[in-house]
Amino acid sequence: MEFRDYYQILGVAKTATTDEVKKAYRRLARKYHPDVSKEPEAEKHMKEVNEANAVLSDPEKRAAYDQLGSRYRAGQEFQPPPDWDAGFEFSGPGPSPADDADFSDFFANLFGHTGRARHGADDFRMRGQDRHAKILIDLADTYHGATRTITLHVPQADEHGRVGVRAHTLHVRIPKGVKEGQHIRLSGQGSPGLGGSPAGDLFLEVQFAPDARYRIEGRDVFQTIPVTPWEAALGASIEAPTPSGPVQVKVPGGSQSGRKLRLKGRGIPGTPPGDLYLVLDVVLPPADSDKAREIYATMARELDFDPRGKMRE
Amino acid sequence: MTQNEIVTGVLVDEVTLTLEEAAQACGVEPQWIVERVEAGFLGDGSMQMTYWRFASHDLTRARRMRQLESAFDAVPELAALVVDLLEEVERLKRQVGSA
Repeated sequence: MEFRDYYQILGVAKTATTDEVKKAYRRLARKYHPDVSKEPEAEKHMKEVNEANAVLSDPEKRAAYDQLGSRYRAGQEFQPPPDWDAGFEFSGPGPSPADDADFSDFFANLFGHTGRARHGADDFRMRGQDRHAKILIDLADTYHGATRTITLHVPQADEHGRVGVRAHTLHVRIPKGVKEGQHIRLSGQGSPGLGGSPAGDLFLEVQFAPDARYRIEGRDVFQTIPVTPWEAALGASIEAPTPSGPVQVKVPGGSQSGRKLRLKGRGIPGTPPGDLYLVLDVVLPPADSDKAREIYATMARELDFDPRGKMRE
Repeated sequence: MTQNEIVTGVLVDEVTLTLEEAAQACGVEPQWIVERVEAGFLGDGSMQMTYWRFASHDLTRARRMRQLESAFDAVPELAALVVDLLEEVERLKRQVGSA
């Protein structure tokens, strides 16, 4: 485990005041805000910034960290000495750089507990905190249902209250018909409770992996389907690959690019299911041979066609 | 639980959250949620105090608001406005998606 220099992460001096820490945190929270940031690895940076702020904005945690940190540099191999935090009492609700389910090993080892529980208040009971994480699935997963494996690094206290980090691997069933933005609630998979109280829950927010073939609106799915000019002009029966498997589709004659063919009930499953819209994209064959150029030249000669005619009206 | 056991959750939109569950999930007091529902920042405006239920969209929205209020000391009105704008950006991004 590497030592993390929280002052370096926030870009403040070790003598920074609470106001300076807050100001630095806000500046970085804006820079790396996962909803808007275009910075590479913004989400990873935001986690680091949240952790750093959770420690440096809390006087007790900061004092304990300062006592420890004076002997280490960022990136240096690190193991917390026994009773490194003796004399400090963290009164917060345990690990909470926001409520992210995945802590750094460093943070979890140092602060992944509540002081009260560790200092032997056996009668203290508190339900574990709920945790949140995102889970990335493919569109096909919601058509058929799937199982996805996620690994979270979470703090876990032993019987003496000393905290270690445990890789928490979960095989999660993805229910058929799940939509983007929905949450799957896994009961009892959040932070452990204290004094025999139940664990919190884990909420997984579903996100679809980016796929240039599809656009999704609720349960409706839009899929671009390339067709030849003669299939569009004359009509044809074509085989279209769709998220639920290949289907035979009739392309009406006289179709143009952008025409939508609605396949009722073939969107994301549900009650009612969404629809699948095949958006036609007429693709021209390249004029890369004498034969192809001759055909285009014949069309130019024989067809009375001016696609810009209406622009001159 | 064994390492290979498959866990099955419930979809929050099928089994919606009570006020207390939503507050727990957001790491706030129930009163924090109540104030924002009453101000029209959360929920669809149709909630009756006797039967408040919260779905995925409410959860995402509430967590974003809480994060903005906490990180920037934003007043709830400003946090709600920022979340409205974030949602609009997401909608527009979906609209200009590939297909």
